[in-house]
Amino acid sequence: MHALIIDDSRTMRSILRRIVTELGFETTEAGNGQEALDHLESGLTPDICLIDWNMPLMDGYTFVTRVRADERWRNVTLMMVTTESEHGQIVRALAAGAHEYVIKPFTPDAIIEKMELLGLVAQEVPA
Amino acid sequence: MTVTMEPSLGDVHAVVEEVWSSFLGAEDPILPLPTPMPMPPGGWSAAITVSGGWDAQVTVQLTDPGAVHVTSTMLMCSEEDCTDEDLRDALGELVNMVGGNIKSLMAGAAVLSLPLVGHGDISPGSHLLEVCRLDLTWRGEPVVVTVHTPPPPAVA
Repeated sequence: MHALIIDDSRTMRSILRRIVTELGFETTEAGNGQEALDHLESGLTPDICLIDWNMPLMDGYTFVTRVRADERWRNVTLMMVTTESEHGQIVRALAAGAHEYVIKPFTPDAIIEKMELLGLVAQEVPA
Repeated sequence: MTVTMEPSLGDVHAVVEEVWSSFLGAEDPILPLPTPMPMPPGGWSAAITVSGGWDAQVTVQLTDPGAVHVTSTMLMCSEEDCTDEDLRDALGELVNMVGGNIKSLMAGAAVLSLPLVGHGDISPGSHLLEVCRLDLTWRGEPVVVTVHTPPPPAVA
């Protein structure tokens, strides 16, 4: 499994990388939406993209619309991970094709839970 | 938390506590300072601007050691390894989360700027007034969070 982590903050990419690496994912990182699109254009096929909203050059919302407009990437799961928590923005992102939405700050469990819901991680069975 | 036209101290404190406990360790809480004290010279400031339905500048100020503690904790690296570039990045993300979550408390759609981080003070625009100030302490170092907004329109 492969995760593409898209955030202009190296710190946040590092935090997300630690979480998904623990789950067994390989990772690629991008500092903005354009850099992430470049990775996809060059043949990267991630199972999931973790996407910040506010980034220079290309924001996360634009990235989602660009990915969803291209059939080549229809199987890529898109999860917003952002401080943008206004209801209207959440609705916009989900309507544009994001599958899940996580608001910063988050705990590792919040990310893991969403990935379980998306079927990317096996759900823990209570003992 | 409630949606109001101006953030309350309690709401801003709740936001800061949530950010700190999520990324800097719930076992090491950020606490109110019983007596506010001036920030020592130097230190780091991180600011972010909110514009739209609500206009404001949110600023987080830390001492040099406080900024290094934050950065090494977020990046999980040793304090000796933290570069100024690391500090700018980590403090930028910190104020992004604080500012973004304060924005969500306010009425009206608004957008966040990209964060601005610098060594020393980041003075708010001269047209802005301080409407909220939290004096806190984390790992023995003072932390100041302020919210500045434009003055209310004059009543004729």
